[in-house]
Amino acid sequence: MSILNTDKTLPANKLIFEVRRDVRLRERFSTDLEGLMSDYGLSEAEKDALRNADLERLGELGMHPYFLPQVTRLFRGAGYNHNESAAARLYAEKMLKGKP
Amino acid sequence: MAEIVSVLALAHAPGATGWLDRAPRHEQEALLAGYAAMGEKLRAARPDVIVGVANDHLLNFPLESIPDWCVGTAERWRGPAEWFRDWVNIPPYEVAGERELARHIVRESARRGFNLAFSDRLEFDDNWSVPLKFLTPDYGVPLVPIHMNCVVPPLPEPERCYAFGRTLAEVVRAWPARARVAVMGTGGLSHDPGGPKYFAVDEKFDRWFLELLASGDPQKVVREATIERMIAAGDGGTVELLAWIVALGAAGGGPAMADFYVPSVALRCGMGGVSWAP
Repeated sequence: MSILNTDKTLPANKLIFEVRRDVRLRERFSTDLEGLMSDYGLSEAEKDALRNADLERLGELGMHPYFLPQVTRLFRGAGYNHNESAAARLYAEKMLKGKP
Repeated sequence: MAEIVSVLALAHAPGATGWLDRAPRHEQEALLAGYAAMGEKLRAARPDVIVGVANDHLLNFPLESIPDWCVGTAERWRGPAEWFRDWVNIPPYEVAGERELARHIVRESARRGFNLAFSDRLEFDDNWSVPLKFLTPDYGVPLVPIHMNCVVPPLPEPERCYAFGRTLAEVVRAWPARARVAVMGTGGLSHDPGGPKYFAVDEKFDRWFLELLASGDPQKVVREATIERMIAAGDGGTVELLAWIVALGAAGGGPAMADFYVPSVALRCGMGGVSWAP
């Protein structure tokens, strides 16, 4: 997992980039993720990784590392993002297998 | 002609405003004291405008076309961007821009070999929201934000960042207005958003980097503080120190004094700041 492995052309990167900048897209992320992923042309591998918040796999596919914690915040909430927050725990679970 | 009255660089990690209460008491106190001291120093220099340099964090630069630097040319800025508001826990604010200086920087840098992008529409996240909250809480000093690419390779190499800082200072001083200008780099120190060291800080690297900046030897800085070393100390975050190297260039390469350093696992970042003698 490194910024050096980022695939700028990965549709999932475009999706996350735009979802963060547009409230309506963010609502759709919550209510119609499948439709949103299809509209952005994600591959089956990308769709599967994103719907499961599989951060490790998303990274392998070329999602920019900076987006990975943001994926956890899209699923679990962005506010009060301390190390025990739901979003940070999701990160630990998916990326670090629960450690620390 | 404008003069540069202050050059500083400091961390902008969102935990400082978003969840500081979760850090140990001694970390909270050291961080708040450090930011307060830097704010006092900055305000004592009575800047008419701050020229800031910081990571764009893939918030504005489209994946299709990422510039090394983009100068914000608007008359007025609003922050934080909606998606980051809860995260940084900072209420909406406005800060004036300085359009004429921003345009001057773009025009004159082009004559000196720097092809800067420019935009009237930049959204702000922690990059400006956190430092401004601590340094100029009344948002009373206009800001020319220069967003830079610190995270999507290829990145501008330290040598290029230093050269840009030198050029930026030269260009600012050539601005015909009588103005007092501060240059502020934000970002770093070690942190690893999106990587395996998300819940860690590389204190050894941070202290090494701060000592390197204190050396007053800019050639040594650009030679030793390589992108590879920054990446090794925290992949997606530590490279924000490239903005500090721009500040180093703007300061003319002299030694930087560390104002504070707090390696905070609770904030998931090595928090610190330095300033250069004017």
